[in-house]
Amino acid sequence: MEVQTSDHNGVTVFRVKGEINLSTSPDLKRQFEKHTVRRVVVDLADVSYIDSSGLATLVEILKKTKVHGGSLGLSGMPDKIRSLFEITKLDKLFTVYATQADALDAASK
Amino acid sequence: MKKEFRVSSDLSKVQETSSDVLGFLKPAGLSESALYDIRLCLEEALINAMKYGNGLDRSKPVRLDVEFDKRQVRVSVEDEGPGFSPRKLADCTRDDNLLKGSGRGVHLIRHLMDRVEYNEKGNRVMMVKYLS
Repeated sequence: MEVQTSDHNGVTVFRVKGEINLSTSPDLKRQFEKHTVRRVVVDLADVSYIDSSGLATLVEILKKTKVHGGSLGLSGMPDKIRSLFEITKLDKLFTVYATQADALDAASK
Repeated sequence: MKKEFRVSSDLSKVQETSSDVLGFLKPAGLSESALYDIRLCLEEALINAMKYGNGLDRSKPVRLDVEFDKRQVRVSVEDEGPGFSPRKLADCTRDDNLLKGSGRGVHLIRHLMDRVEYNEKGNRVMMVKYLS
């Protein structure tokens, strides 16, 4: 798994590539904890696989962002991953955008 | 085709085992989506068996029985623990449980596989995916 971090006018984008699973989830958490950010977009367009530990890690990141009064949007979810969010009802918890640009637009408002 | 796998209760073995099982299933010609579902459910069941069943005791193996034909793939995962009752698990989709960190693996298995059965003791899960 690779995580690229970039800043877009105060919105931090974490672009994740590869698999978010039991062995890579701690690394994603660490990458997130390195940055103190309030407005976050996690771009999942290049994520090929996610398991329940990956879902739990995203929930944890969301909780931490909210504790700091921030916002978190998910973008670019491949269909398979979107279906896992629907099955687990996590689509009710997260704000999901079709593209990174849509998520950035919403976070900038 | 049928094959038995035995793996020690070591979480670092999950990926390798799952990759071995998927390699065994290659001749079944599964779709990408079916492969994803089988991999995810196998890994979730394997992690639960190692962690909650065998308490990550490396001396205790998890036994996998994998079988396929033209109609279905069957994967059975058995640990040496006391067993559990999946019905007693909290519903991870309830609003007050959505922020919790665990409990989604069994729920995903229930939804992604076509048939899921536990033995009476609750230490073996048998998962079936029908091939269309």
